[in-house]
Amino acid sequence: MRAAGEIGAAKAPARSHAEASPSNFRAIVARHSLPYALIAPALLVILGVLGWPLVMLVWLSLQHYGLRELFQHQGTFVGLKNFSTILADPQFAYTLRTTIIFTVVNVGLSMLFATLIALLLERVSRFVRVLLGAGLVFVWATPVIPAVNLWQWMFDYEFGVMNWLLTRIGAGNYLHHNWFENPLQGFSVITVIVVWGAIPFLAISLHAGLTQVPRELVEAAQIDGARAWQVFRHVTVPTLRPLLLVLFSLSTIWDFGVFNQVWVLLNQRPAQDYYLMAVFSFQESFRVSQYGLGSAVAVVMIAILVVATFLYVRQTVRSINEGGA
Amino acid sequence: MVTAIGLAAALVVAACGSTSQAINPADQTGTLTVWLMNGSAPQSVVDGVNADFKAKYPNVTVNVEIQQWSNVTTKLDTAFAGSAPPDVMELGNTLVAKYGYNGALADITGQKSSFQNSGTWLQSLTDSCTVSGKLYCVPYYAGSRAVIYRKDMFAAAGATVPTSMDELLAAGQKLMTKYGSDPNFSALYFPGKYWYAAAPFVWDFGGDIATQSGSQWSGAINSSASQQGLSVLQNLVSKLSRADKTGDELKQDQAFAQGHIAMIIANGWEVGVITDKKSGNPSLLPNLGAFPIPSHVAGQTAPVFLGGSDLGIAAKSQHQALAREWVGLLGGTKYQSQMVTVGGVIPNTTSLVTLSSGLPAIFAAAAKNSRFTPNSPNWANVESSNVLQNMLVAIFTGRSSIPDATKAASDKIATILNASS
Repeated sequence: MRAAGEIGAAKAPARSHAEASPSNFRAIVARHSLPYALIAPALLVILGVLGWPLVMLVWLSLQHYGLRELFQHQGTFVGLKNFSTILADPQFAYTLRTTIIFTVVNVGLSMLFATLIALLLERVSRFVRVLLGAGLVFVWATPVIPAVNLWQWMFDYEFGVMNWLLTRIGAGNYLHHNWFENPLQGFSVITVIVVWGAIPFLAISLHAGLTQVPRELVEAAQIDGARAWQVFRHVTVPTLRPLLLVLFSLSTIWDFGVFNQVWVLLNQRPAQDYYLMAVFSFQESFRVSQYGLGSAVAVVMIAILVVATFLYVRQTVRSINEGGA
Repeated sequence: MVTAIGLAAALVVAACGSTSQAINPADQTGTLTVWLMNGSAPQSVVDGVNADFKAKYPNVTVNVEIQQWSNVTTKLDTAFAGSAPPDVMELGNTLVAKYGYNGALADITGQKSSFQNSGTWLQSLTDSCTVSGKLYCVPYYAGSRAVIYRKDMFAAAGATVPTSMDELLAAGQKLMTKYGSDPNFSALYFPGKYWYAAAPFVWDFGGDIATQSGSQWSGAINSSASQQGLSVLQNLVSKLSRADKTGDELKQDQAFAQGHIAMIIANGWEVGVITDKKSGNPSLLPNLGAFPIPSHVAGQTAPVFLGGSDLGIAAKSQHQALAREWVGLLGGTKYQSQMVTVGGVIPNTTSLVTLSSGLPAIFAAAAKNSRFTPNSPNWANVESSNVLQNMLVAIFTGRSSIPDATKAASDKIATILNASS
C-alpha cells in the first residue's frame, strides 16, 4: 500500500518535468512509452494464454459446433441462437439458481471458518501454531482428485466410515444411508469438501494479514474499554479490508466454478439435480458434443463473474488508494 | 517435390485399397496405432495378432494402446478432431453410429467381402456397424447379460433356478428369509443406475425405448408395456436388493466377491472379475452358476441387450490398407476362436458360437434372444445424458411415480434422438 503511494508520488514530478521541456520530443516518447514497452512482454503472454482462448470461446458460443464440425474444424455461425436455447432451458435456470446459492453458502462458510482459524492461530502457543499450520498446508498440498476420492470412500453407501461412525456413536441408523439420494444432503457433503479444501489458503493468508494489525491500535482500543468483538469489528476488520476483499473475490470465482468435487464424487455421472454451471457446461460440451451450447454456458458464467467481481475489484482498488494516500 | 509426388502416389494407391499388391509387404514401413479397450482381448490374442502381422509386414511397427472405458468418448472425440487419430480403434457398439455419421470412420462397404466370416457376422453387431446403408466397422465380439448366482446359497435356502419372473421373486424371497438378517445381504443386487439390466424387463413385456417411423423417433419407454416391465422390476428391487439406489454397476463384481450377494445380472466376462486373484475371490468359482434372465412367460427367457465392440478404422488414417489387414486378423477365424476359448466372449460370427462351453455358453445362449438400442447417431447422447439411468433412480428412490418418470424420460429421449446433430 505504501509502495504504491510512493511510486505515484515519484512519477508526478517526473512527468511535469518532461512537459516543461517540450522541445525534446524523443525524450517524451521514450519516457511515455518505456513503461508500456516494459510491460509489453507480460501483456503479450497474458493476451496469448488468457485473451485468445477467451475470444475463441466467445466465437465458439456463436456457432453451431457439434461432432461433425469438430472433426472438420468448421462450425456454422448461428448468432445468439445458442444463448436463446440455454436461456429457454429449465435445466439452465435450475443450474444457475443452484450455483448462486451454492457459491454464497460456500464463500460464507469458507471465510467464516478461515477467519476463526486465523484468529485462533494468533492466540495459541508457538508449538500449536506450527502444528496447526502444518495441518493446513497438508490439506492444501493434497491434490484435489485423490482428496475427493478419499471423501467419496468416507461417504460410501456400503463401506463408508461415516455411516459406520454415525451408527456407532448412536446418531441413528445410518447403515446403508445414501448421502446423495437427497440433493440437499448431497450438496451438504460437497460443501464440506469444498470448504475443507478452501480453508488452508484463506486461513494462512488471513493469519498473515492479522500480523500486520498494529498492536498499539489494539491496545489503545482495549484501554478505551473496547471488548474483543468491538476490537475485531472496528480495528481488525478495517485494517484487513483490502485483504478480505481480495479473498472474497477469489473465493467467489473458485466456488462459482466448482467442478471436480461434483464430478469425481458422483462418478462422472452426476444426476441433473447436481448440475452446477461448470458441470452443465462440461456436460453440454464434452458429453453431448454440443460445443457451441457448452461455450454459451461458459460465456454466461464469465459474464456473471465479471459483474460480481467488478464490485469487489472496485472496492479493492479504492481501499488500496485510500491506504496509499 | 519428389517426396510430395511420392506421397501423392502413395495416397492414390492407398485410396484404391490395393497397397498390399502394389508394394511388396516386406517393403512397407510405418507405424500402426491401435486402441483396444481395457479387458477386451486377452494379451495372448493381441500378441498372436501382432506376431502374424509382423510376419507379413516385418518393417511396420504396431502400437497397441489400452484405453479405459470411463470417459473414452471424450478421448475419442479429441483424437478424431486431431490430424493423427489412431488408425484402428475398438468402439462400443452403441458409439459407432455417432462416429460413422459424423465422418470420423472410414467407409469399408466395398471391402466387406475381404473380411473372413463377413457372411455370418452376428446380425446385431453388423447392424451397429451400418449407418445409412454403409459399413463403418468390423464386428469384434459381443456380450450379453445373464444372472450369475451362488449355487451354495440357493441350495441352503432351498431355492431353485427360476424359469419365470415370478419364480425369480420367489427364489429371491427364500434367500432373503434365509440370509436377510445380514444387513449387507442382497438376494438380487441391483444398483439403481443399472439400465442395461433393466432393459430386458421392458422388452419382455413388449415395451421399447423408442420407435422410429420414417425419420422421426418417438419415445416408447412410457408405453403401458414398458411401464409394466418397470413395475415388475421395481417390485423385485424393493424386495430383494440392498444395493445403492443411486449407484451404478461398476462395483458390483467386487461387492459380489465379498460374499453377501446371491445374484447379480452381469456380463459373461464379469465371472473373471469376481474370481480375480487380486481384486476378487477365486474360491467362489465352484459355487458360481448362471441362468438367463427369465421371461414373465414361464419357460421363456427375456430379451437381453446385446453389448459388444466393433473395430473401426479412422477416416484420417494414413494406413487404410494396413489397418484393414490388422482388423481382419483380429476379426478372423483364428483369433475369434481364441477370443471364445481364452476370453470367454461371444465371437463376431455365428459359425464359432458353438465353441463356447461352461458358463460362457449360458451367456452365449442368452444372446440368441437379444435386442439393440435405437440405431441413431444421437443415441450416444441419450447414454451420456444418463436419461434412462436418472429415470431408474427416480423410480427406485420413490422420487417419481413410474408414469411420471417414464413420461419425462420418454420426452427427453425423443428430443435428443430427433435433434439435428
